[in-house]
Amino acid sequence: MTKVLVIADIKDGALKGSTAELVSKAGEIGAETAVAAIGSGVASLTGDLVQAGSSTQYIADDPGLELFSAGPYAACVVDAARQFGADMIWFGFSESGKTLAPRVAARLDAACVSEIIDVKLKGDQVEVTRPAIANKVLQQVKINTGSLVAVVRAGAFEAGEDVSGTENVVQLSPPETDARAVIQEIISDAEGEIDLTDANIVISVGRGVKDQDGVNLVKELAHDLQAGLGASRAMVDGGFMPHNTQVGQTGKIVAPSLYMAVGISGAIQHLAGMSGSKYILAVNKDPEAPIFNVADYGIVGDLFEVVPILREEIKKVRNQ
Amino acid sequence: MKILTTVKKVVDVELNIRVKDGAIQEEGLQYVINAWDETAVEAAVQLKENSGAETSLVSIGGADNTDIIRRCYAMGIEQGMHIQDPAIEKPDSFTYASILQKVYEKGDYDLVITGKQAQDTDNGQTGIILAEYLGLPCVSNVIDMEVLDETHVKVSRLGDGGTEVLELELPAVVTVDVSMNEPRLPAMRGIMMAKKKKIETMDLAGLGASPEEVGAGAPKSEVLAFQETEKRQGGQKYEGDPAEVTAKVVGLLASEAKVL
Ligand SMILES: Cc1cc2nc3c(=O)[nH]c(=O)nc-3n(C[C@H](O)[C@H](O)[C@H](O)COP(=O)(O)OP(=O)(O)OC[C@H]3O[C@@H](n4cnc5c(N)ncnc54)[C@H](O)[C@@H]3O)c2cc1C
Ligand SMILES: Nc1ncnc2c1ncn2[C@@H]1O[C@H](COP(=O)(O)O)[C@@H](O)[C@H]1O
Repeated sequence: MTKVLVIADIKDGALKGSTAELVSKAGEIGAETAVAAIGSGVASLTGDLVQAGSSTQYIADDPGLELFSAGPYAACVVDAARQFGADMIWFGFSESGKTLAPRVAARLDAACVSEIIDVKLKGDQVEVTRPAIANKVLQQVKINTGSLVAVVRAGAFEAGEDVSGTENVVQLSPPETDARAVIQEIISDAEGEIDLTDANIVISVGRGVKDQDGVNLVKELAHDLQAGLGASRAMVDGGFMPHNTQVGQTGKIVAPSLYMAVGISGAIQHLAGMSGSKYILAVNKDPEAPIFNVADYGIVGDLFEVVPILREEIKKVRNQ
Repeated sequence: MKILTTVKKVVDVELNIRVKDGAIQEEGLQYVINAWDETAVEAAVQLKENSGAETSLVSIGGADNTDIIRRCYAMGIEQGMHIQDPAIEKPDSFTYASILQKVYEKGDYDLVITGKQAQDTDNGQTGIILAEYLGLPCVSNVIDMEVLDETHVKVSRLGDGGTEVLELELPAVVTVDVSMNEPRLPAMRGIMMAKKKKIETMDLAGLGASPEEVGAGAPKSEVLAFQETEKRQGGQKYEGDPAEVTAKVVGLLASEAKVL
């Protein structure tokens, strides 16, 4: 039986939805699934890990793992993978996953594939599908080694309805800290904001909102809708939005039910991060803006006029 | 400080990519320097200007990489290597990392700066694997770097919880994001000088490596086929009185899309 080790995505002490999605997919392809949780205080998540559908839980809970550090985290994953005898190791789509996957693969002499959206077992053969070239093409990739480390693109898999696992906890011993890459601090730039990759609605601002007042205008709308607030690279580079709100090829991949692009032109690199959204609404004053080629609903107009009306109208339909 | 930057020539993503029978059609494609590698080059040149670093670059791939190497010369890189060998078939990031390992070992470098990802593969793996192979520390997705002393740099990377600040001991590998800097446009003088500069071209034997050693022709994963990503169909665009069209669209979001 194929064995899949899923690395838990943990944010602010809570398990993110992507973990259950990955575990469900592993179940669908008939694999036995373990989950590894790494961090400080993560032992308290054991119940959630079981509930996600795993049959074994590898826990590395240590104060020394409080701040993310690639070397020690990779060592924990490698330890869990060896103990479990994993054929595949799946990371959710996060910066830590992206930086750990190649490390782990190199240490285990496994193949490494980024951003997979599908995985199939054909007898002994593993084949995965993934986008490349700024999401312009999909690649069908054959794995030539016995084991595979993969990063799963956000929104690729769905969590099963009523899954449940069995509790079988294995404690991992904490690894040595990395004396050659010492983490000093994490400057948190969006404390308390709604997580973009988990949000049901994401509203992103582009250069069209011009300045901080423009951002604040859209922020009010996001607040009303309890939506995640994202941004184009232009707004991040301009210093108006925190780095971790960037949506696109180099930023976050989001696939919410509704994505609103406000004052965003729709560059290929931006589209690569949001075209998996269920519905897209674009607000742009230029009727020729490429964003309209992917938007299900388009409002051609000045966002400074449109956004306040959007707020009012949405309040109206929500109160009905 | 000796710096090695890695530069790949990639397909221009702004142009149309067409696939036929599982293969990307060459016709109409253009090739450019990978955007993230241009950032790496700019970072290296700034270290040369501000801290007196020596700068080298290496590019692995097709026959016609000289134009991008010359562009990097014009930006200020001092030495360029081009590695090509027919044995390098279906390379994956491990193949490239193995070849880069050989390059590194010949050069006694203090810092390797790679792009965070190649725009054609979107893998984001090569630099990190290289560091593992070399047993060096590595920080990926770097957006800021400052030299502390001869053997330490301070780097900022974009992580999940915000900007992670690390002190990194050299020798080390960093992979950089495009938001790190604004690559300079080469000046005319630089372009003229770059034309005359020598590019060191080598095959694997010239590097002192056998194809087997670097896994050439034996990738851990390989692309069987490509297909074009299904394009989203744009829907209705509403123009006119803002109050009217906005009310209409909100109505549709609620009744038709049912997302409000
Ligand atoms: C290697 C690489 C990676 C990249 N990665 C990313 C990425 O991950 N994410 C990303 O977003 N970009 C990325 N980019 C940048 C991308 O190419 C674009 O430059 C960027 O997305 C443009 O941002 P924008 O749409 O906000 O700005 P612009 O392209 O300037 O568009 C602004 C839009 O606002 C509209 N507008 C102006 N005023 C108003 C108004 N009053 N009302 C309504 N509309 C108005 C304009 O009509 C225009 O369409 C990357 C680029 C490179 C080279
Ligand atoms: N053929 C190559 N020649 C030189 N550098 C490369 C090559 N392939 C990858 N790299 C470097 O590795 C980075 C990441 O590539 P990838 O892992 O393919 O996303 C790139 O930005 C380059 O800096």
